[in-house]
Parts: sequence; C-alpha cells; structure tokens
Amino acid sequence: MAGGESETNASLNNNGVEAATEELPGEEEEKGSGLRFPLARIKRIMKADPELGLASQDAVFLVAKATELFVESLALEAYHYTSQSKKKTVSRRDVDHCIDAIEALAFLDGAMD
Amino acid sequence: MPCVRGNVYEQRRAVRAMSVSSDQPDDELTIPRAAMNKMIKELLPNVRVANEARELILNCCTEFIHLLSSEANEICNQQQKKTINAEHILMSLDKLGFGDYRADAEAVLKDCKAMAAKKRRKSTRLENLGIPEEELLRQQQELFAKAREQVEMVEQQQWQMLQAQAAAAQQQQQEQQAIDEDEDYS
Repeated sequence: MAGGESETNASLNNNGVEAATEELPGEEEEKGSGLRFPLARIKRIMKADPELGLASQDAVFLVAKATELFVESLALEAYHYTSQSKKKTVSRRDVDHCIDAIEALAFLDGAMD
Repeated sequence: MPCVRGNVYEQRRAVRAMSVSSDQPDDELTIPRAAMNKMIKELLPNVRVANEARELILNCCTEFIHLLSSEANEICNQQQKKTINAEHILMSLDKLGFGDYRADAEAVLKDCKAMAAKKRRKSTRLENLGIPEEELLRQQQELFAKAREQVEMVEQQQWQMLQAQAAAAQQQQQEQQAIDEDEDYS
C-alpha cells in the first residue's frame, strides 16, 4: 500500500461527466507512506480559517493522516447502520445516524446543509 | 451540548463573501473526491455508497480538518508558540475524542520525517551534479555583473531623458517669460 506513485487523477471527459479534478496544478506532492490526500490541499483547507497561524509540515501531515482515519471511521460506522437496516447501499441517512450517535461527531451537527 | 465551533463557520461565511475566484475558491475546498472514493472502496469493497452519502462524508472531512486545526491553534497559542506543530495536533486529537487515531498517526509521522530527510539529501546531490562549485560561483558573478550593467544602462537612459525634459521645460519657461515681458511693454 505504501508507494511512491502519485495518483493519476485525470478528468474523465470534458462533457460534464464527473470530472475527477483532483490535484490542482501546482499541487503535485510526494505523498509517501501511503498518504492519500495531497498535503497542499489539506494545507489550503486549513488556511481557509483566517485565525489559523503557521503550521509545520509535520502538523499538516498529521492532519492529513487524521482526516484519512476519519473518513475510514465514518464510512465504517455508517456501514454498520446500513447492514443493520438490511440495506445494500450506504445512504446519507446512515451517515447522519452516525453524527447523531457518536459524541465526538457532535461538531458536525447542523454544520451540513 | 451546543457546537462550540460555531464561530469558525461564521468566519468562513465571511471569507466566502470575499472569496477570490479560482478553480476552487479556498473556502469551498475539499479533499479530492477520487482519493476519498478510493479509500472507501478499499475499506468496503463490495458495498455501494450513495452519492449523497459520499458528498456528506466529503464535507464532514472539511469540517474535521477545521475542527482539528482550530483546536491545535488554540493549544499552540496557549503555549505561546508561533507554529502549530505535530504535538499540538496529537493533543487536539485526544482532546476532541479522536485519541484512537493517535497511534496510527504517530507511526506515520516517522515515515514523514524519514522522507523529508531523504528529500533534503536528494536535493543537495542534484545541485552538485556536474558543475563544480567554483564554476557555479563564477557564473553567478557573471550574471550579477551583467544585471548590474543593464540596470545602469536603464538608469542612464532615464537620467538623460529627465535632463532633456528639464532642459526643454526651462527653455519653454524662458520663451514664455520673454513673451510676457513683451506684452508688458505693448
């Protein structure tokens, strides 16, 4: 899983079919150690908060890794509700259910559309 | 318990109002969708996930990043440090109820350091490739000298132009004066 290869994230086509524009120009990053999310993007998201000061590279790296773990946890939790309700597709409702049920996810309450 | 991060959302709403246009305005940034999808696919290989669910998870990630950064920022400020470091992030994870991420995160941090060190070594090797330092230095001096010459030339031209303008202005003034004097006596 750990590899030096960067993801190829080509746009599928120009006609509006989901363009997977993933890495913006100038964002090519050596991810390494299996990190999936580009550090530059994580950093930009962080910087969108005007109150945030400087962050070391290690810090950004950790945020990236933590976010990956977050995705995995959330997806896995949601799936538990999916299988409980004997459905085959993880729905938005399953994810909402997690947000309601897990205390650490309370920060997501009402923040989503 | 009400959400204590409300002010972050408000701030970002304000940022949105002055958002600079670009492919993805900074306040609408998310992690790359494909990367997230790939992760979910690997985690739940034979499971279908609705687009709405994906969208929601994607947006939750963004919120998570802000939450984590915000908390780390506070800890950093409390310690009166200028830069958020790894420890601040780790402490934030604990504080926010994501302590179980710590072990994995710390493990991966070692890899990061190793990679950063490798990159530094790699870049110095590239710099030394082929051209010896004295030669590089000489080339640099040459470039500086050329640049200085060019600047001097431009400045010289500008000075000449100014002088010409000043001379012309002075002459015009004298002519005008002469005319004025004539008029006085007419």
